[in-house]
Amino acid sequence: MKKSSFLYPIIFMSLITAISVFALAFLNESTAERVATLQETDLRTKILYVFDIDVSTTDANEIEKLFNEHVEEEILDDSRIFILKENGEDKGYAFPVVGPGLWGQINGYAAISTDYNELLGIVFIKHEETPGLGGRIEEEQYLSQFRNLDLSSASDGNFIIYRPAANGNVDAIAGATLTSNSVAKLLNEDIYGFIQGRKGE
Amino acid sequence: MKMSKYSPKKIMINGIWDENPVLKQLIGICSTLAVTNNCMNSLIMGLGLTFVTGLSSFTISLIREFTPKHVRMMVQVLIIAVYVIIVDIYLRAFMPELSKALGPYVGLIITNCIIMGRAEAYAQNNPPIPALLDGVANGIGYTLVLLAIAVVRELLAFGSLFGVKLLGDWWTTWTIAIMPPSAFFLLATLIWIAHNIQNKKGEVAK
Repeated sequence: MKKSSFLYPIIFMSLITAISVFALAFLNESTAERVATLQETDLRTKILYVFDIDVSTTDANEIEKLFNEHVEEEILDDSRIFILKENGEDKGYAFPVVGPGLWGQINGYAAISTDYNELLGIVFIKHEETPGLGGRIEEEQYLSQFRNLDLSSASDGNFIIYRPAANGNVDAIAGATLTSNSVAKLLNEDIYGFIQGRKGE
Repeated sequence: MKMSKYSPKKIMINGIWDENPVLKQLIGICSTLAVTNNCMNSLIMGLGLTFVTGLSSFTISLIREFTPKHVRMMVQVLIIAVYVIIVDIYLRAFMPELSKALGPYVGLIITNCIIMGRAEAYAQNNPPIPALLDGVANGIGYTLVLLAIAVVRELLAFGSLFGVKLLGDWWTTWTIAIMPPSAFFLLATLIWIAHNIQNKKGEVAK
């Protein structure tokens, strides 16, 4: 068949596409399990962190063991909720928080005590903030401020207030005002939503 | 066809220095600005691009005799996309930390003009092995420029290199070095230096 004929390019493209798709599908399929395990381990590490349980290992099996010892999982409105257990009793809930950041969506988890009076901690799973500026929301220095934060005195769902505003309880990140404000907004909204949803049960 | 036309040494020098894609051809600038605030990101980005450019040039050259001229660009994009996805899958499965750090930039390797530029300018008209070398050489040229910029930016912005802290707490970090504008300044300076050296040698005759 001549290269300039009408059919040749069509057959040629179809053939190349078919081979490519087959190769990629095979590669994707053969690594899918590995990727899923990595993501699950990553999530478990983050959930253990948000409950302030020390994870000193990076071994997937040990993390899974530690996770199963302390945490139970529950599905609530299509999202995964994690429950911290201690001697068979519920000690806290971790629920997903999500909202727009400066450049893209911020995903994370917040943990709250069972009486809804204390924020146990927060952690971010995914964000696209500027590295070194807004990206510092994932640094311990920022995150540790949310450990055991009192929520009982908050009014109108304003749980997170940056200092030096009145009743401020957390420091924002210098040079990353927009990211800091986005984080406060998404935390306030989702914490409020979770508490309302739970109490309404 | 003369053999000397495909001298590997000449191809390497061309890609890395004489016709360096970033410094001389001024292509691939977008990612140069985006990922150079950190040495590790730059290195992985550079290696990814080297891999994709080399292998896609090789493949395109391999099937160039069978490719109808008027659909060649479709074929090129398809082949480039395949290799980019391979890099993406590999990073996700075996280097999850880097995959997360590079985020959307891995997928954006496909839009890097260097790959298609080499495919059109070289691979389409040359045998597979020289095409592979040409792709790799251009990739290395790109990687070196990225690293040169990243070293300065990371040192100023974080006081570290490849994540290893070099400067103590006394170092005041430069916010501007994190932001894209600093890459503009550094890239312009690099291009200026490179042109000066090459002009002095008389390689660029005006």
